[in-house]
Amino acid sequence: MKKIYYILIAFAIATPIGLYLTNAPAWGEWESSYYKEALGFIPKGIKSSSQSAIAPDYSFSGLGDVSSYYLSATIGIALIFGIFYLLKKIIKHG
Amino acid sequence: MHIADGYLSPTTIVTTYAIAIPLWVYGFKKLKATLNEETLPKLSALSALSFIIMMFNIPIPGGSSAHAVGTALLAILFGPWVASIAISLVLLIQAVVFADGGITSIATEALAMGFVEAFVAYYTFNALKKFKFAPFVAGYVSIVAAAFITGLILGIQANFVDASGKPLYFPFNLSVSIPAMVFGHLFIGIVEGVFTQVLYTFLNKELKIKEQIA
Repeated sequence: MKKIYYILIAFAIATPIGLYLTNAPAWGEWESSYYKEALGFIPKGIKSSSQSAIAPDYSFSGLGDVSSYYLSATIGIALIFGIFYLLKKIIKHG
Repeated sequence: MHIADGYLSPTTIVTTYAIAIPLWVYGFKKLKATLNEETLPKLSALSALSFIIMMFNIPIPGGSSAHAVGTALLAILFGPWVASIAISLVLLIQAVVFADGGITSIATEALAMGFVEAFVAYYTFNALKKFKFAPFVAGYVSIVAAAFITGLILGIQANFVDASGKPLYFPFNLSVSIPAMVFGHLFIGIVEGVFTQVLYTFLNKELKIKEQIA
């Protein structure tokens, strides 16, 4: 059982590699300005949507790339463990 | 395969949520039956691993990038329903906390990276169980299937246009979106396949999940 935690920790420590392998966005996950260049306009739906989040694109304002990525990884892992733990509690008492 | 808010038409959003909600409800029941002292840490760890591997953006030919998902491994170890729910939770966190994929697109993403990838992986693995490389093939085929569904739903958006014929949402049609999504994931499929194969080989004996699922 411990092995899986080691694997998880190893991958988490390695996450900054994900920052340096490529700067290219995934297909279909471009900045809005891409559409302006490619089409001459930004489709209305894309233009008018504004998505706010605590750490958009896994970056925290005031933190560097690597620190942001580590903080994001930590938050993600903590939330997943926390939510499953709560779900199990709820199920047990429900 | 993440889709930002504003990329999907309201019709698509409503339709995908209408399909996903009953699947989530049923999957949640399966999860309830699965979660116990033994499975909880394992499912949490593998779901977290899935979140982490999605942070590894890998360059693909043509100047774009993509990432593995990890659904196949979850599906083989926990069954397709539980895997789909676990991935849906990951997608929810990505959308809400990191704006990686929109809130309106969670159903679409869950159908592709969750349900389609999980069921394709699960049945591929079971069909090839006798062969050593069944986990690799399951991972490879299932992520390509997920990419196909993502390309399909994205490409449909080009049909929603304003009075002057300009697309309102994602503007590239099926003949562009499906090949683009599938092509990239023919490469990422190798990563998903190797990940699934190696982790399955490493963990299968140790986790003994099947005996612990009610």
